[in-house]
Amino acid sequence: MYAFEFHRPTSLRQAASLLGKAEDGRLLAGGQSLLPMMKLRLASPGTVIDLGAVPGMTGIERKGRSLVIGAMTRHAEVETSPVVKEAIPALAHLVSVLGDPAVRNRGTIGGSLANNDPSADYPAACLALGATIVTNQRRIAADDFFQGVFTTALEEGEIIVKVVFPIPSRAGYEKFRHPASRFALAGVFVARRGGEIRVAVTGAGDSGVFRWHEAEEALKGRFAPKSLDGLTPSTEGMNSDIHADAAYRAHLVGVMARRAVERALRR
Amino acid sequence: MAADLQGDGLTRAEGSGRPPHPVDRGAVPRGGDGPVHVHRAYPHDSAHLHVQGAASYLDDLLEPEGTLHLAVGMSPAARGRIAAMDLAPVRAAPGVVRVVTAGDIPGRNDISPALGDETLLADTHVAFHGQAMFLVAATTRDAARRAARLGRIEIEAQEPSVTVEDAERRDERVLPDYAFGRGDVATALKAAPRMLEGRLRIGGQEHFYLEGQAALAIPGEDGAILVHSSTQHPTEVQHVVARILNVPDALVTCEVRRMGGAFGGKESQATQWAALAALAARVTGRPCKLRLDRDDDFALTGKRHDFRVDYRLGFDADGRVSAYDVDFLACCGHSADLSQGVVDRTMFHADNAYFLPAARVASRRLKTNTVSNTAFRGFGGPQGMLAIEKAMDDVARLTGRDPLDVRLANLYAPGRDETPFGMKVEETDTLRAIMEGLERSSGYRERRAQVDAFNAGGGWLRRGLALTPVKFGISFTLTHLNQAGALVHVYTDGSVQLNHGGTEMGQGLYRKVAQVVAEEFGIGLERVRITATTTDKVPNTSPTAASAGSDLNGMAAKVAASTIRARMAGIAAALWGVDEEAVRFRDGMVAAGAESMTFADLARACHQQRVHLSATGFYRTPNITWDRASATGRPFFYFAYGAACAEVLVDTLTGENRVTRVDILHDVGASLNPAIDIGQIEGGFVQGMGWLTTEELVYAPDGRLLTHAPATYKIPVSSDVPADFRVELFPNSARQDTIYRSKAVGEPPVMLANSVFCAIADALASLDPGRPVPLDAPATPEAILNAALALGGGR
Repeated sequence: MYAFEFHRPTSLRQAASLLGKAEDGRLLAGGQSLLPMMKLRLASPGTVIDLGAVPGMTGIERKGRSLVIGAMTRHAEVETSPVVKEAIPALAHLVSVLGDPAVRNRGTIGGSLANNDPSADYPAACLALGATIVTNQRRIAADDFFQGVFTTALEEGEIIVKVVFPIPSRAGYEKFRHPASRFALAGVFVARRGGEIRVAVTGAGDSGVFRWHEAEEALKGRFAPKSLDGLTPSTEGMNSDIHADAAYRAHLVGVMARRAVERALRR
Repeated sequence: MAADLQGDGLTRAEGSGRPPHPVDRGAVPRGGDGPVHVHRAYPHDSAHLHVQGAASYLDDLLEPEGTLHLAVGMSPAARGRIAAMDLAPVRAAPGVVRVVTAGDIPGRNDISPALGDETLLADTHVAFHGQAMFLVAATTRDAARRAARLGRIEIEAQEPSVTVEDAERRDERVLPDYAFGRGDVATALKAAPRMLEGRLRIGGQEHFYLEGQAALAIPGEDGAILVHSSTQHPTEVQHVVARILNVPDALVTCEVRRMGGAFGGKESQATQWAALAALAARVTGRPCKLRLDRDDDFALTGKRHDFRVDYRLGFDADGRVSAYDVDFLACCGHSADLSQGVVDRTMFHADNAYFLPAARVASRRLKTNTVSNTAFRGFGGPQGMLAIEKAMDDVARLTGRDPLDVRLANLYAPGRDETPFGMKVEETDTLRAIMEGLERSSGYRERRAQVDAFNAGGGWLRRGLALTPVKFGISFTLTHLNQAGALVHVYTDGSVQLNHGGTEMGQGLYRKVAQVVAEEFGIGLERVRITATTTDKVPNTSPTAASAGSDLNGMAAKVAASTIRARMAGIAAALWGVDEEAVRFRDGMVAAGAESMTFADLARACHQQRVHLSATGFYRTPNITWDRASATGRPFFYFAYGAACAEVLVDTLTGENRVTRVDILHDVGASLNPAIDIGQIEGGFVQGMGWLTTEELVYAPDGRLLTHAPATYKIPVSSDVPADFRVELFPNSARQDTIYRSKAVGEPPVMLANSVFCAIADALASLDPGRPVPLDAPATPEAILNAALALGGGR
């Protein structure tokens, strides 16, 4: 490590003010991405502001037809929460296959969303479920929030406070992990709420999480794996790297989408 | 000195093996006068230290005061002329004591094992990305590594050769082409009822020894130097250090107590780091230590050779092969290194266990601008075998026969027992007994029916089953390497010190050789102190390689011990007035008729009588005569055999797969130590499975290795070991006069993993029976899916 300023504010207002003042400040949530990046010098913020002591940022709550999760809620809490299992079991499942035990016990939903890693799991859930990301300044629809690889709609000084998930009637998540890194080569979250069907894909796109509209259309006829038979997204826009080429990723998206629908129907 | 020289663990030997392994399985039955210590499952000599973290590896040695730490300045381009090298910023970096370049080498800038084609530090040109260009000596390892990045290097870069095709286009080779064979293959192919052509690409493999490359050089007086090196070949380190420093060999001592894994990666390629440490020690006059960072180790050290194999096979309707015509195109990297022997062994195992009436086995050793590929457990053999196993599968698909029946039809048999290089296979009975024994014990036929029935269901999950043989030649094919020396001392308290030229890399060699010595003296294993391999005790050694460690060093140690025993027996015989032959050594006692005394008392008596209680032993393998130029003679003392039956489950929509059960029956002759041998078989199999399934080396077009850490390069871990894993030793006794009729075990088990590759292909074949499966190695999920798509599946 190298020298940097460290703050541990005790209110959201104080955190926002520190973030506003810092020349090159980063928020520390669970630290499962930021700290490794700092160690590798892929990130070298001059100021780190730890949100761990800010009250009111954790917790899971069902509010009417929504599930509300505080930004500093750790993955393991979501994974084991009876409220989540009851309301959106697909979300509990997603978290159970996210990262490794260390990541699940330290990492947070807010941190994951703010980081918007192109292989992260949570962005797919947010996008497919049509979640709303609530910050200290405003409410942002998931469709507007994710803006590309490691890029979000968050402005300077903006802090995610909680995430509101509308509860779907059916939802499912499936991913294919890279054998070495265990990150998703392709992860697909499907959700159905009333007549609305949304399919979100992570890990595969070259500009991060995206909605696969063609699959959504196909599932509108009948919400069944068969409706997706023969459907594969275009290789254009698919990531191609040492882990997998674009064609393989596109293929996996098709397979994972069918399996996600299957899983959604299993409940 | 305490009686328990080896620490705890020995008395509990029988019970401390892993529960599923009966300890004496496969061993020769023990009679009253039978051997006590050999053919017996003792734990590894350092097992108690390993589990306590108390076994010292090189980096654990206490550093002498003033030790400097080294880091390598690496080439930023894969091929080109060095235009400029400005190292002023490196020199100016904090903690830097000295920067060393090729100009500082007092001797020859040459670390090659033989051909003089590889520099210690690049001087005029670079030939692969990351090549060592300069060396930084600093007060800490961290300071050295930071400084090493500050060199301003300009290379007039050229397009590098990275693939077989790149090298073919340029027609660049590290060594001349070589071929051998038998009969008129072209005619035989034409005459064959059926013919197939195939092409197989086989990936390389990183050794991924847990202990990376490391060396510590300590300067002595009058130009002498002591080098601690994590090497399989201390003598080569000694020679190269002497060559680099321009001093006689006698001034250089190389020592290694143990390595944390090597797998061939420290046979020739531990030398450079030892030579760099020695050079820096010479230049600075201070002890110098170099331990490569893992990412740098990946970039700087050679791997298993990647190949393209082109083959043509003539066969009949029953799948019996009449002709095999094969070209092995090996990517050797930028220098020859050990590629002559490696690719020769690919050729020697092109037949694996099958009789090929007519054969042409040809090879090209292509020069690529990648790190120089080197020895890796199996030493080229695995690639040769995989190709013919693929061809056997192809034949099975085309004839509609069970692949096992095709294999059995082509197996070496009496009268069909000569290899393409003219050596007779003397143990065809063993080979067949292993195949048929495993066929029965694995329940192959019933499971074949189950697998076929499952696949006939037509789902996206497919099962695959394959039973493949291994026949592996034991001996260095460079005949002169088949020699070994040992040094044994008996002290007057009856304790024994043992030294030999073999190195311990975790494989249990030290333990096996100690068992031989304890057997010879009839004393407890705890009385035999094993000492570190060092060139000042046993000189002019061969590398610990070619699976030959126990065969060679066990014999040399037996010779040394029996020399001393004969002298001691002479004294006892004179004392008691009996014949020397009547004197027995057993259970710590020496006895003849009614007379007896302890081994320690006899040692003391010998000393009183001025009898020399130290001896060297020397062994050279008999009966090997290979002449490479004429491709005649007998390269191998004997063959080791084995077979494996693997079953897999493949997701044909994603390529994901799981090995669900593995049965192995393997021949180690009369095992010296069944616990260690079974460990070698299990480990070798898993390592081979990694090579063929998950371990994928990816180079960028500019020659950079992109997979250089575990996050991108996947080796098998404990959770990848098949849950149902049944390993048995084949009850056997070597036909040749090997050490206690045991057989070598280090390398052959790697190739048992061919069964996994073939089982995956078998699962895929169910998508379109009747067509060869277009699957290359490694069979990664992506490769499996592509094969499935090609066979009309995958959707």
